[in-house]
Amino acid sequence: MSIGHTLLGLLEKGPRHGYDLKKAYDERFGHDRPLHYGQVYTTLSRLLRNGLVEEAGVEAGDGPERKRYAITDAGVTDVEHWLGTPEKPEPYLQNTLYAKVVLALLSGRSADEVLDVQRAAHLKTMRELTKRKAAGDLADQLICDHALFHLEADLRWLELTAARLGQLKTAVTR
Amino acid sequence: MSGDPTTGADGARALLEAVDLHKSFGPTPALDGAGLRVRAGEVVAVMGPSGSGKSTLLHCLAGILTPDRGTVRYRDVELSAMGDGARSELRRTDFGFVFQFGQLVPELSCLENVALPLRLGSVKRKEAESRAREWLERLEVADVADKRPGETSGGQGQRVAVARALVTGPRVVFADEPTGALDSLNGERVMQLLVTAAKETNAAVVLVTHEARVAAYSDREVVVRDGRSREMEPVT
Amino acid sequence: MTRWFTDLVLGVRLALGGGRASWVRLALTGAGIGIGVAVLLAASSVPTVLAERAERQAAVEPAGGEPAGGEAASGDVLYSTFWNTTYHGRSITGRFVKATGPDAPVRPGTSKVPDDGEIFVSPALAELMASPEGELLRERFPQRVIGTIGQDGLNAPQDLVFYAGDASLTEDAGDPIRAFGGQRHDRELDPILSVLIMVGVVALLFPVLVFVGITTRLAGAERDRRLAALRLVGAGAQRVRRIAAGEALLGAVVGLAVGAMVFFATRRFVAEIQLLGVSVFVSDLTPTAPLAVLIAVLVPVMAVVTAVVAMRRTVIEPLGVVRRTKPVRRVLWWRLVPIALGAAALLTQAGAFGGTVSSGSAEIVISGIILLLLGIPVLLPWVVERTVGRLRGGAPSWQLAIRRLQMESGTAARVVGGVAVVLAGGIALQSVMASAESQVMDQPAPEVDRGRLTVSLQQTTPELTEQTLGLLRRSVGVERVHPLRTVAFKSGEDYFSATVGTCEVLRTVATLPSCAEGDSFHVASSSGPRAGHPKVDPGRPVKVFASDQEQEPSLPWTVPAFTEVVGPEDDPMKVSGLIVTPSLVADLPAEVGFTRVLVGVDPDQPDIAEHVRNALAPMTWRAYTSYFGEVDVSDRVKEFQSIRQALLAGSLLTLMLAGASLLVLALEQVRERRRPLAVLAASGVPRGALGRSLLWQNAVPLLLALVVAVGVGGGLAVLLLRIISQPIVLDWPGIGVLSAAAAMMVVVVTLLSLPSLRRATGALGLRSE
Repeated sequence: MSIGHTLLGLLEKGPRHGYDLKKAYDERFGHDRPLHYGQVYTTLSRLLRNGLVEEAGVEAGDGPERKRYAITDAGVTDVEHWLGTPEKPEPYLQNTLYAKVVLALLSGRSADEVLDVQRAAHLKTMRELTKRKAAGDLADQLICDHALFHLEADLRWLELTAARLGQLKTAVTR
Repeated sequence: MSGDPTTGADGARALLEAVDLHKSFGPTPALDGAGLRVRAGEVVAVMGPSGSGKSTLLHCLAGILTPDRGTVRYRDVELSAMGDGARSELRRTDFGFVFQFGQLVPELSCLENVALPLRLGSVKRKEAESRAREWLERLEVADVADKRPGETSGGQGQRVAVARALVTGPRVVFADEPTGALDSLNGERVMQLLVTAAKETNAAVVLVTHEARVAAYSDREVVVRDGRSREMEPVT
Repeated sequence: MTRWFTDLVLGVRLALGGGRASWVRLALTGAGIGIGVAVLLAASSVPTVLAERAERQAAVEPAGGEPAGGEAASGDVLYSTFWNTTYHGRSITGRFVKATGPDAPVRPGTSKVPDDGEIFVSPALAELMASPEGELLRERFPQRVIGTIGQDGLNAPQDLVFYAGDASLTEDAGDPIRAFGGQRHDRELDPILSVLIMVGVVALLFPVLVFVGITTRLAGAERDRRLAALRLVGAGAQRVRRIAAGEALLGAVVGLAVGAMVFFATRRFVAEIQLLGVSVFVSDLTPTAPLAVLIAVLVPVMAVVTAVVAMRRTVIEPLGVVRRTKPVRRVLWWRLVPIALGAAALLTQAGAFGGTVSSGSAEIVISGIILLLLGIPVLLPWVVERTVGRLRGGAPSWQLAIRRLQMESGTAARVVGGVAVVLAGGIALQSVMASAESQVMDQPAPEVDRGRLTVSLQQTTPELTEQTLGLLRRSVGVERVHPLRTVAFKSGEDYFSATVGTCEVLRTVATLPSCAEGDSFHVASSSGPRAGHPKVDPGRPVKVFASDQEQEPSLPWTVPAFTEVVGPEDDPMKVSGLIVTPSLVADLPAEVGFTRVLVGVDPDQPDIAEHVRNALAPMTWRAYTSYFGEVDVSDRVKEFQSIRQALLAGSLLTLMLAGASLLVLALEQVRERRRPLAVLAASGVPRGALGRSLLWQNAVPLLLALVVAVGVGGGLAVLLLRIISQPIVLDWPGIGVLSAAAAMMVVVVTLLSLPSLRRATGALGLRSE
């Protein structure tokens, strides 16, 4: 994920302190990996250098954290451009799950077992996400849904695989 | 399997338990040794591919179908030992049902639909309808109370159905693909309302679904494959 | 034109293409229409049956016309006498004949003129005589059976008819038969009876048409879905209508075929059965060509028209069927038009059929009846809609039924419309019949006296009387025999009769103070037909009729002085007027008068009447026996009773048909609502409650139909009674019976639809399609 674009997007609502920015970022996107302060300031200074943000006054007190940043017109254009550019779809052509299933079959182990255990693990995560979604705000719901749909996609693949197990087995052991 | 079959691994007493169910329709076996244990207040997802016997298992658990072999016990009473009338009454008082579609009586208004199970249990009309209205409010569909099911949207209809399933204060709610005909947003909302209401009234839910996101509302899942079931203990 | 045709064909293919379900539906439709068509075909055969009968009836009648001058020279003739007897309450009729030579005319249905001691019998009589039940009958016909009478010599297959040769026939009585093939007389029915028949035919056949119309609309919902799919792929509304017409046409054509098959298959057995005294030859039961064509055209046209009209309310849209959620409220005024017109038509005929000859127009009466009855199915949907719309509350099963009716009451109203027409027709019929009965049955039925018989002799001769008395005395169970002779005479312009018998005999017919040979009495009659009749004067010279043929009496006689006495009351054999002892008529020839023998028998002897009749068998045509243990009724009453029975049978048949259509509707509704029903049952709604809701769903429209039927039927009865100028009395017991039958029908229909409810509410009903 592009941290620079994300911070720019957050600044669109109005000027903020670096500390606020970090908090806002963490709340919405950083559930698993919160930003370091350093990362925030490095990014902000790069954006300053490129003219995408500007300093919007310093409050009383000292330290870099007292500076407020605002987005420039160039910054807005840049965010728009970023949002308008499609992300490259990333196919997971090779993945551990697939490898495990194929290996289980090659070695004569039960692939059903692999699938069921994996499903249980997936569902455990999905349950946690569902609970968090129920308790959280819109941002929480959005990010949890994002994860849930991906996990569901995994499971659907697992189920399809289960359904095709018979065919698959003859194919790999031939 | 070890120890007393009516107690689960965690020692909690099972509310509803099916052991070694066999059921065939013609030559094809739909259930071939399936079983399931439901404890009070828990949400159990029954998952598995189409035609694996999920719905048949649910029908046997609810006493709609009688298995060819095997036992279903509810609170230490064996369902197959009960007469048709007694099973009907049990379903009316202790169980609730939500299906994918077509469960509301098209001629009755939504309110009357929800009040119906109460009235069959000889609750006075006024009382039944006021309780039905409470449930419609709780499921955020009070505004369709006087409409017929055909005049509501799919999501509203399913919420009315959930209200009808819960209005009698059942111990177990059977939900067979309750979101199958809904879009994701409506489906999520119906699931949320169903599970929340069930938890609040300490009703167990047996949730048949093939969607993982729906199953994620459960506490644990049971996988049915080729008429056999596998109870997955929650991964810790 | 080809577009039309391809659309129709597409409709047919669609109707067949739905796999097993569509075949089941087609079978139901075919069976439903088929039954109706079979009934219509049977009804359309009635004119043929009557015409053929009249034809054959005429054929066996002697040819009329004045005897030609030189009859002896012109050829051989047949002397004949008509005779009838009764066996176990069934009438056996026939002729005894004697040919004057080999060229005597041969009766149709027989191969020759039977010689003395030979007899032809109808197949039914042959069968009866051969059966164990006919054991006693064989004694009565000791003649040699030389053949059976063919169809062309019989009215109906079950008629008991004989044709026997008898050399003892005298040649002086009556006209000899020169040829067979008499004048055909069309039956001139009593006007009351013809009104009865009109009501009956309309009331019975009209519901059949209603039923046919309903049956073509089976499985409407399924069809609508199918047609919606057609709209989705781009068929225009007009084409969809044509396709729907094609589907309906298929059902109608199948129904016609089924109906024809059912008709011709059951027709083969029709000669074997005798329903309520009526039996019909197979070949007689042939629809008349115009009516057959009418049926063949009317049924498909009706099917197509109802199908297209039905779609008027149901807009078939590409994405399924859009029924207006709030159906258009039905309007009352035009629904009352047929009733008003019908009532007006019948009012114009008031009194027109009152006399013995009708002065009215049968067409107007029939159209009036049709309009009034048509008003019922037209009015009922409105009544059902409004009434049901007002109903609230009640038990859940009641609520389910009422809400269902509130949403869609049209089909239910149409089906019970058929029932209501039957009921209204039945009510009108019953009332007219009850009223007609009082008129037709004005004479009180003779009292049953199982201890008495009367034997009437065809000829009066001392030898014949002696022979009869001898035969009777030898018969089992006969206790007393009292011969009586009646002599008719004319005094001035008045006709009288004198009953001649010995004192012993006279005592049994009148209460006599004392009696000796040479006495004479007069029994005053205070009641009965002869009350107020002028009395004869003693000592007056009068003229006695020498024979039946005499126009004016020729034998002189003097009325003897008599004693006034009172006859025994309540005696069916009571004699009134002059009664005299034999010596007072000794001057008159012994052949004068009419002789009968009163026979006292042991009522406990089984088959006593048959034994006495058998004892008199040697008398053949010379003796008639009537038994007071069997109620004898007049022809008019018999005719009335057979019409009444036929109408009753018809009403029952039509009511059954209506019941069948109710059942079909009930099954269809269960099928259509399988899923909600299954879900309700799964959620623990007791099947009993669902069954009750089914019952209410059938019963409520029927109850309303009953109300309308009683109203219209009662009104129709009143109008008809005015037409035949009868006092206006409604037959409430009859109405009660019909209503009870309708209620029974609802219960039976509901019971019969329960298995299908049971199937629908099984777990399989939960499976999605």
